Amino acid sequence: MRHKSGMMGITRTSVTLCVLMIALSAAPNFCLLTEAQAAPPTLETTSEARDKKQMGPRRPFAPSRPVPPLQTPQAGPVERIEADVSTRSVEVTTDFTGHEILVFGSIDNSQQPSDESGYYDVAVVVEGVPEPTVVRRKSDVAGIWINTSSIIFASVPSYYAIASTRPIDEIAGPNVLNKHAIGFAHIKMTPEPGYQWSFGEEELAAFKAAVIRLKRQEGLYVMEAKDGVTFIGRSLFRSTIALPANVPVGPLVARVFLFRDGEVISAHIARVTLERAGLERLLHNFAFRYPFSYGIFAVMLAVLFGLLASAYFRRGVR
Amino acid sequence: MNIYLPIAEMSVSVALFLGLGWAVGFLSGLFGVGGGFLLTPLLIFMGIPSAVAVGTGSMHIVAASVSGAVAQYQRNNVDIKMGLVLVAGGVIGSAIGVGIVRILREIGQFDLFVALSYVTFLGAVGALMLIEAAGTIRRARAGQPVSTRKRGQHSWVHGLPFKMRFHRSKLYISAVPPTLIGAFVGFMAAVMGIGGGFVMVPAMIYLLRVPTNVVVGTSLFQIVFVMAVTTLLQAVQNKTVDVVLALLLIIGGVIGAQFGAAAGGRLKGEQLRFLLAALVLLMCLRIGWDLVARPDELYSIAPVLGVLQ
Repeated sequence: MRHKSGMMGITRTSVTLCVLMIALSAAPNFCLLTEAQAAPPTLETTSEARDKKQMGPRRPFAPSRPVPPLQTPQAGPVERIEADVSTRSVEVTTDFTGHEILVFGSIDNSQQPSDESGYYDVAVVVEGVPEPTVVRRKSDVAGIWINTSSIIFASVPSYYAIASTRPIDEIAGPNVLNKHAIGFAHIKMTPEPGYQWSFGEEELAAFKAAVIRLKRQEGLYVMEAKDGVTFIGRSLFRSTIALPANVPVGPLVARVFLFRDGEVISAHIARVTLERAGLERLLHNFAFRYPFSYGIFAVMLAVLFGLLASAYFRRGVR
Repeated sequence: MNIYLPIAEMSVSVALFLGLGWAVGFLSGLFGVGGGFLLTPLLIFMGIPSAVAVGTGSMHIVAASVSGAVAQYQRNNVDIKMGLVLVAGGVIGSAIGVGIVRILREIGQFDLFVALSYVTFLGAVGALMLIEAAGTIRRARAGQPVSTRKRGQHSWVHGLPFKMRFHRSKLYISAVPPTLIGAFVGFMAAVMGIGGGFVMVPAMIYLLRVPTNVVVGTSLFQIVFVMAVTTLLQAVQNKTVDVVLALLLIIGGVIGAQFGAAAGGRLKGEQLRFLLAALVLLMCLRIGWDLVARPDELYSIAPVLGVLQ
């Protein structure tokens, strides 16, 4: 099954690639612009970094790179990563029990000799909508465990899944990972104004660690197995990301990073919409948009069921 | 088979929650109680957020009490006027309670408040029932008659202003105590997700001296209306009423209640009360334990309320 879907992924990739390449060759600047605009704050740096790499000479990497005989390092082709997801929109219905999405793509101008060369590294990060999150800590007050201190982080990803060719700490240093928020430990969590000075470094770190620990327990922060991203041939790669049943509904952003020698040399964004559908959507919208009518509906439903049940059983008993 | 709950926002096993509804229905049929005090804590133990458990519990109680209320009304066991005074008080209490739920959720102390309320009320009611049931059993063994209320007794309750005539209960008393009792029960309904029959019935008998034959019908009348209003208020203010979850519990509950009632017929009244008291105390201890035992996880996370909505 897995293999089959992989094959399908490849054919889909090549089709998508053709379309993308035509689009890129026609208007490369346009593509970059839209991406940068649509990107969340963390991604702006990514696009910038990529632009810089593409414009300027790539000297930092030049020495360790096996250079093709006819090309000088400065004039070498620029690698660019492109990616897409298997399912652009996932529907959350009453029978939703989770979903697996395939993130796949390719490296333009790939210079790696084979899929097992380890020449490049790829990391895939899928994130849910960041939301303000309150973290509370209990302590013993007169024998009872009570929430005594709390902190609000301005934006914590509601869902965060990461997959990579190798453990991310082996791929790049903490500065690079922090910059792009790759890996649980590198997610940006900034206290809301008003909480910034109330806690020391250690306490703040403990609160952050608690968010990651609790989110992992809930199954909302997911780290795919160590070969979460696999290369197929010189330029194609694929990765499966599992969306759990309790994934918060909302748009998901899939960021794909191409690493070479511990630096991000290209990045790409794909989007997945996660929407309520069917009865699930109907009831949720009803409850949140028309709460008064929903309340009346709930009461009437309860009265109806209560009366129907007793009528049914009275007939059954007598 | 799993189903995704639209308000609790989680995927749960249909069989598990039908079973939970059945078990609570069985116990409430067995003991003749509403079962809210069992259902809400059990839902919280199962991982349903406290506020959703309380909000959904109120909808469940409407369904569980409505047929009983109708049956009592048909047998002329409802003092409508007394019931309306209790409902009026109940609506006020419920509105205050729903507002307090909102504030407590925002400051992160709702779980603690619910747990403390449960420990206090279940502890007090359980202990009183245990003493009363033990006394009745002892008296019955000694061959003494079980005492009932004496007519014409007066207490401080009868000296209050705003007197009203309650024909069905044959009472001429102030409207203040029934309003206060109703308000207290309505408040508990909103913060604890219980009907409050186990507080209202003794209060009506011992404080207001309402005849026992109309006590149950009148309290059911109050419960249905106050819980209906509470359901509506929770839906509007806190958005914590999950109809899908409620339906699972109601369907399981009405079936369980039939079995419970049949089983209850084989036990004596004071034996039942003794068992119920034990159950109430057990629940109290279980919730109390969570308050005093050092938790495995000291931290908790929650989305910031008022930002999403």
